[in-house]
This record gives sequence, C-alpha cells and structure tokens, in this order.
Amino acid sequence: MNRLIQDIKFALRQLRKAPGFTMTAIITLALGIGANAAIFTLVHAVLMKNLPVADPAMLVRVGDQDDCCVNGGVPDGNNYSIFAWELYEHLRDQTPEFENLAAMQAGYGLGGITARSNRPGDLPKPSRGEMVTGNYFQVFGLKPYAGRLIVPSDDKPGAPMGVVMSYQTWRRDYGEDPSIVGSTFVLNTYPVSILGITPPSFYGDRMTDSPPDFYIPMVLEPQLGPAHPTTLLKDARGSNWLYLLGRVKPGTDVKKLQGEMSASLRNYLATLPLYQKKDQAKNLANSHVTLTPGGAGIENMKQQVGAGLKMLITISALVLLIACANIANLVLVRGMARRTETSIRMALGAQRSRLIRQMLTESVVLSCLGGIAGIAVAYGGTRVLLSMAFPNAHNLPIDATPALPVLGFAFGLSLLTGLIFGVAPAWVTSHSQPADALRGSNRSTSDRSGWVQQSLVILQAALSLVLLVGAGLMAKSLSKLENQDFGVVTANRVVAHFSPENAGYKPEQLQALYDKITDDLHALPGVERVSLSLYTPLEGNNWGEGVFLQGRPEPGANSQVGASWLRVGPEYFDIVGHRVVRGRGITPQDTATSTPVVVVNETFVKKFFPNGGNPIGAHFGVSGMESAGDWEIVGVVSDIKYNNLKQPTRAMYFRPLLQLAHTKPEGDTRSLYAGAIMLQTKGSVEGLESQVRHTLANINPNLTLTNFDTFAGQIHGQFNQERLIARLTLMFGIVALALASVGLYGVTAYSVARRTPEIGVRMALGANRSSVVGMVLREAMLQAGIGLAIGVPAAWICSRLVQSQLYNVSGHDSTVLALAVLVLAFAACAAGLIPAQRAASTDPVKALRTE
Amino acid sequence: MYTILTGVKSMIELRNVERSYKTGHTETWVLRRVNLTIHPWEFITVMGPSGAGKSSLLNVLGMLDDQWRGELLFDEAEVHTMNRKQRADLARRRIGMVFQSYHLLDDLTVAENIDLPLSYKDIPRQERQGLVADTLDRFNIVGKKDLYPHQLSGGQQQLVGIARAMIHKPALLLADEPTGNLQSKQAKEIMEMFRQLNEEGTTIVQVTHSEANAAYGTRTIELRDGWIHSDTAGEATDIPVEVRP
Repeated sequence: MNRLIQDIKFALRQLRKAPGFTMTAIITLALGIGANAAIFTLVHAVLMKNLPVADPAMLVRVGDQDDCCVNGGVPDGNNYSIFAWELYEHLRDQTPEFENLAAMQAGYGLGGITARSNRPGDLPKPSRGEMVTGNYFQVFGLKPYAGRLIVPSDDKPGAPMGVVMSYQTWRRDYGEDPSIVGSTFVLNTYPVSILGITPPSFYGDRMTDSPPDFYIPMVLEPQLGPAHPTTLLKDARGSNWLYLLGRVKPGTDVKKLQGEMSASLRNYLATLPLYQKKDQAKNLANSHVTLTPGGAGIENMKQQVGAGLKMLITISALVLLIACANIANLVLVRGMARRTETSIRMALGAQRSRLIRQMLTESVVLSCLGGIAGIAVAYGGTRVLLSMAFPNAHNLPIDATPALPVLGFAFGLSLLTGLIFGVAPAWVTSHSQPADALRGSNRSTSDRSGWVQQSLVILQAALSLVLLVGAGLMAKSLSKLENQDFGVVTANRVVAHFSPENAGYKPEQLQALYDKITDDLHALPGVERVSLSLYTPLEGNNWGEGVFLQGRPEPGANSQVGASWLRVGPEYFDIVGHRVVRGRGITPQDTATSTPVVVVNETFVKKFFPNGGNPIGAHFGVSGMESAGDWEIVGVVSDIKYNNLKQPTRAMYFRPLLQLAHTKPEGDTRSLYAGAIMLQTKGSVEGLESQVRHTLANINPNLTLTNFDTFAGQIHGQFNQERLIARLTLMFGIVALALASVGLYGVTAYSVARRTPEIGVRMALGANRSSVVGMVLREAMLQAGIGLAIGVPAAWICSRLVQSQLYNVSGHDSTVLALAVLVLAFAACAAGLIPAQRAASTDPVKALRTE
Repeated sequence: MYTILTGVKSMIELRNVERSYKTGHTETWVLRRVNLTIHPWEFITVMGPSGAGKSSLLNVLGMLDDQWRGELLFDEAEVHTMNRKQRADLARRRIGMVFQSYHLLDDLTVAENIDLPLSYKDIPRQERQGLVADTLDRFNIVGKKDLYPHQLSGGQQQLVGIARAMIHKPALLLADEPTGNLQSKQAKEIMEMFRQLNEEGTTIVQVTHSEANAAYGTRTIELRDGWIHSDTAGEATDIPVEVRP
C-alpha cells in the first residue's frame, strides 16, 4: 500500500514537472472520455434505464412496436402492439397471470388538453393529458408525492371527475403550491379536481421529451379523449389506441403467457367484421402479440433513436480508442525521453516489474485526471446533446448531471484507457538496454519504440478514415434529406396550432368559428392568406383511410388502398404550395351543405388511376363499397411530402373543412375540428404570434395556441434526429482527425528529434532543405498511406452498418470516400510538414555536436 | 606580418573572421579576428587545446556555420555575401568532410553511405553507381560494400567516411579529429591516406591533437582562445599585410 502511495506521489510529481505533456494528455482524455460519458448518459436513459417504479422486473408490456396513435385495419406483420378498448378488456379478463394489466393512451400531444386552474389570474394552458386506466398507478406500485393517485374506483362511470398532476408540472407551472392538490381545474371546459401529485422521479410510462402533465382516468375519455366529441370506448372496436402494460404474478412463464394471449387475441379478432372477410383467414391465423420486458416502460424512444444511439456510442468509442492511441504515443515518447532515467534505475537494481508498475501507475493517475476532466466535459456535452436531441423538450426526464452509472462508466473508462495506453509504453521502455541508453548513441532510424508508435499512428489514421467516411455519409444523407423537393413554399408562411374542441365548441358551431377566425386573422396587418386545416405538412401528423372507388371491384383485405387525407380551407393550397394541376381546388362554396367533394394529389391519381384514366368526376368513399359514392373528385394538386421524409410521397386527398361523409358520418365528426391555422404574410410581420394569440383569445379565452412556428422552422424540426446524428458524427470525425493529426505530428516530431544527428550528417554531406523535408514527409505520408490502405476497406465494410441511417446515399459512396481520403491525406501532410520544416532547419553544427 | 605564397592563387581567404556564442547575458568568443589564407595543395593541421576554436574554424570553412562575422573568399567567390542556399551549394560541390566519430548512417550499407553525397546531386543513378564502384575500388573496400557500419572496425569505418567525403572529388577536405577514435596503427593508415589524397591534389585541413598526425601536414596553425597563436607559414598579426616578392 505504501509503495502504491509512493508511486502515485511520484507519478503526480512527474506529471507536474511536464505541464505541456500533462495538459495535452488530459485534454485528449477529457475529450475522449467526456464524449463517451455524454453519449452514455443518453444511451443509459433511453436504452438501459428502468422506470422509477417498484420492482420493474415484474412489468411486462403487451406488444413491441411504437405504433401510434389511433390505428385501424390489420397491423404490419399481424403483430399487435396497440389495442382497442374492448380488446384490452378482453385480454385483461382472459389473463389472470397479470396481477394488474393497465391500458394507457398511445399518443398524446401538446394541446390535447387545455387546463386552467382556479387561481386568480391563471390563464388556460395547452397541456398534455394521458388517458390511463384506474389500475395504472397500482401496476407501477407508486406512492403519491401529495394527495393521492388514481385508483380503480376513480375510473368507474359516475365517479367524481378527478385527475393526477405530474410533479414536474406542479413544480414548473404552479410553484409547488400545496393548494393545487384538491383544487378544481377546468380541463377543456370540464371541471375536475386534482387528486394528487405523482412522485418526483416518475415521468410516466415511457421515456419521452414531453411527459404528460395530467393523468386522466379512462372513464373521462368521452369528455377529454382524443376522439372527442365522439368516444373510443364504445362502438370503436376497430380503433386501436391503447398500449398495455401489466405486472405479472411471480413465477409467470412469460413465453407461455405470450402464446395464450395471442390465442386469446385471435379469439377476439375473429368476432370483428374486418376478420370475417373470406381473405382475412391468413391474417387472423397469424395475428399475435409479443410480450416484452416492461421495466423500462413503453420503449418508443428506444425504437426511434436506438439504432442512432448505438451508432453514436460506437463512434465515440472509436474516438476514445484514437485518443488512447494518441496518449500511448505521448507516453511512449516521454518514456523514450526518460530512457536514461529508466536505465539508471535498472543499473541501480530496479526490477522490470517495478518499473512497469511505476509507469502504469503514472498512466492510470493521468487517465483518472483525464476522467475527472472528462466528467466536466460530459456534463457540458450532455446539456448540449440534450438540447440538440430534444430542442422542444418539456420536462425532459433525462438529467445532464452525471448519474451514478454514468460516473461509474467514466471512472471505469478512465481506468481502462489508463491501462490500454500505459501497458505498451511501459513494456517497451522497461525493455530498453541500459548500456545502450546510458551510452546515448542514436544515429539509427530504428528503435524498439518506432514500430509501436508507427503502428499506433497507422491505427489512428485508419480509424479516423472510418469516422470521416461515416461523417461524410451522414452529412450527405442529411443534406439530401433537407434539400429534397418537398413541393412546399415556406417563405413568409407560419403555422399556428390550436384546439377548438378543447374550448368546448360543438360541431354545429364550427362554421361560425372558422369564419370568424379566418376573417379576424385576415384583418391583421400584413396577413395575405389564412387557412385552417386538420393538420399541416411535415408536422408529424397523419390521418389515413382505405379508399373504395366507385365502379371498381371491392378491394381485397391485403390490397394497398390506403391514402392519407386532411381537411383544408379554400386558401390552403396556395399557402402551402400545392399547385392545382387539373380541375379546381377547395373553394369557399364547398360548405357543410354543398356537394361533398375532394381534391386528390398526383400520387393518388397514379395509384388509383394507373392507366391514365381521368380522376375528375370519379367518386370514392372510405367506409366500404357502400360509401364509394360519398365524394366526387373535383381537382388534382401537385404532390407535397406530409409525413415520412425517407419514403415517397403518399397518395392523398383533401376535403373541405366541414363536409361530413354520407356513410357513417359519426366516425367523421372528430375530423371537423381543425388543428392548425396557416398564414401567408407580406414579408416578416412584427409580433405576429402575439397578434394571433390575442385574436383567438378575443374570440374565446379558451382558444389557446399550442404551438407557433414558421413553416420553414416546422420542416427544419423534422430533421432533429438526423441532424443530431450527422452533427455528432461530423464532430467526432473532426476530433478523430485532429487526434490522428496530433498523433502523426507527435511521432514525426519525435522521429525528427531522434534523428537530428543523422539529419545533421546528411546536411553536412550536402542534403538541402527540400531533400530533408521530402525525407521526413515521405515517412509521415507512408504511415498515413498504410493507415488509408487499412482504413479504406474498413470504412467500406463499416459503412454497410450505417446504411439504414442513410437517405438516398449508398454506404459505398465513392465521392465521400475519396473526399475523406483527401482530407486525411491533407491533414497528414500538414501534420508531417511542421516537423519536416523543423528538420530542414536543423543546424548541422549543433546536430553533430550532440554526438 | 603576413606571408603568402606568391604566384599561386589562394583557395580560401579569411579576413577578420569572428565567431561567438551567447549564453544568457555573456558572450563567449570562439574565433577572434582570424585572418588566414589557404592555397591549393596545402595540407594544413589546426591544433590547439580544447575550446581553442579548432572545430569552429572547421565549421566556418566547411560552410556548416553561417553565424560568423568577417569575410570569407573561396576561389575568389565572396562566401560572406552568399545566402545559406548558395553556401550549401558551394560546399556540396567543393568540400568534403570527415568526422571524428565517422557519422556513418547505421541503417545504410557501406556502398549506400558512400553514395549519400551523390544522392543530393542531380546525378543519374547509373553514373552514381559507377562513381561508388570506383571509390570502393580506390579505397580498397569493395569487399565491404554490403556490410553495415557496425560490422566494420573503427579504422574501416573512418576509411568509409573518407571515401564518402572524397566521392564527389572535392577540392577541399576538412577532417575533424579523423583519428581521434582509432588505434595508432589504424590512425597511421588513415593519415597515409590523407597524405596520398593531398599528393593527388586535394587541399586538406585537419584538426588534431596529435603531433604525429600534424607531421603529415605541410603547415600547422595553432589556435588559442580563438586567436591564431602561431602559423608555420608565417606570423599571425591583427592587420593582414600582403607581402609581395
């Protein structure tokens, strides 16, 4: 122990004596360890962290996909992850293996609820409310922070209306005001009491950047649910909108349970008209559920960003490896410089193992110092990372302060790096021949450390190339993604989101409301066009239905007849950028009582009229063949991408704001409620957001804006994940390049220093500056060249692994590869040129004197 | 008083050459107002105690050092007005150097070491190979051409060093303690080689501590504290005065 303390003290003294070396090493390590710890914070939160609930190991999720939000029809692969209310009840009642099986709303968004407290002066706030079953908190085994949580009796018809507020919302919006508990709030015009506050650590059933503000008993779904003013609890057997998560009884065989639940699922599905069609037998037979561990809750984020995160952690690990190689080189050079000291120690009887241990102690002490600096970098890096990854986060349940596992990770990483970069130099230095070292003769170009150093540089160059290629591919993919032709016009366009249903409007009041909103906004100075719509392009929303064309045979169960749709106002096409290419657009004359019409996009025409038939005048519906005459196509507009940016444009149709379908109009009511207002202005309008807010509030104080953004900003937001990955990959690529360049510079500089006498002799014998520069540069470029020779095939192989993250870019993009090779070659040239110039400035007299 | 051989054009003329090194605030002089004329065919020995400025003088003559003051003429060319590159070019063409510790490159064979000065000139590879072969033959080391320096004795290494210095047929050969690391028998062989080269027309300036080696030369200059203390070709004075017949 004493010897260890002595070694540590000596190591600290040695590091203090070489501040340049120590600082370079610590900064390099801090970057390597910090970047890894920052990424690990995200990885830990998204991929590894359990919900802060009692005994998470006993939680089981029914399903494994991130399907959202209200889906109909047959799911992909017949794999059920999202369920209708009645199906939930069926499964719950048929599976006694669950102590409790809860259901929760799959998709809840900002503005789903408008909440107003009874405190004087409080304004209505757009909020997030999640519908949950009465046993939700029992499943998690949670205790309230204040008041009480929802219990099954709150979820019975006739129970007093009460909801639970999240701790984060209570703290952020109400300053932890104790009077909130038990007070009455108005949620979407309905008075409800606040039953209690969730525990501070609880952020809901899933990791998300926007956890719910309120947990609402399922019984309130008709009033506060996503289908308001209709309901998904009754007569909505085909509408799947709930995730299921339960706590199984101890000793439950989950595999067996999965089989039983799948069978139970099929029994239920067999009763649905959808599965009673003759060509649905195969789908029915293949329908199943997958039970997954539910300790981490509903792992949507894992599905959405998991692959990207795994890629980032791999990349950051490579950067760390490069940093290790760099430090190893630095330590090696230093070891060489201290060879005489080592030799004296050996001459005085020091054992090799003792010397190795001393050098290793120094490496580990150094790496621990780097680790401490790395934690600081990680803290700052995590904050930046979180703001980049979740720019619109609201109560993000990921703390930038390093958690214990992150600290452990950083410390473990420090120790590991210390050992990795310390072992080789310690071994090499301790194996120097004392006699040679003491003699100090060095006119040779080869020594024991040379090949180790060069190998490390070659490794760095190869890894850097892999990272640069990755960065190049990501950047090119992002560029293609962002610069693709969405078909939209974004200049001077803004999007405001609002929620008339939350304000309590009845369907019959909507025409007047929409007219008033349109007129009042038109009256604002600088506003040219105004249009309400169900949703807008590239905001992440999508409504879809199966299309049944009049005069065509009924499509089979597996026919691809889906099309996306939305309701739009008369000026919508002009604002967004849809050009009317045939027929007409939606006009003010397309009212609730006029002939029901639709306008379709070009992809719709290609999909449903593939043989060049004229779509104008054709009729279709979405509620089976009996609805095929519901709407008449009156126009065709140009394509615009609305949803998945990486997929081709979907077939779409556009309906007037307030026309109800003749067939099953009750299923059409929810869509009458517009969710967005698009405005086109003459140039930039000062204070437009505030003017829009006031305009709506003047019409009705409960009409609140849930979001306001430029159209360009909304589209920009669609690339957050891709941008994050591209930026981080690029950043890591640059760090890797810088580290590799520093490594090459270090080795070349060391080589020049060691070869000073040789260079002196050469210059005394007539070598001129350019031949010395050429000689040194050749050596540096040879190492970089070997690194490239290894890196090119490595990058070629590795790029296949990131193919799934790329858009319209081949993993084997030769331009990117060539560019990366050029960049690395240039950096290597620059790194080699400085020591080469220094070598060329060698004073032969001095050089020969050192002999 | 300063005497020169008359009727023969001088090869090198040093006029008031001074060299000093700064260490902190103090300036250490290693050459003081050196005036010296060297004629072709001379074999000059520079002697003096350690720190007298012998090697510094050799470095000035070899154009390895360009931090001196004064005037230096080489075959009437004004070296003191030349830039570094011009001096290096001149040295590369006209001067060869032999070092006490040979300065052979350990990773190169004997033939490659000898080829080294040629590799810095624009000489075709084939011609270079011919010159190397001739030199190996001339110095009787053909059998050693593929050996590495560590496989040779000290005397053999110095022979290679001389061969390397002579391969481009320099007019002036500078030797800094060429036998300092050799036994007396080997030293004698090297000195005989120098004598032979001198007789063949090479001007030689050697630095040595050995009286026996000095005896091979035709003229001896003694340096003390940077000053020329004595010169067997005449007396050293502060002001050079040319004596005509």
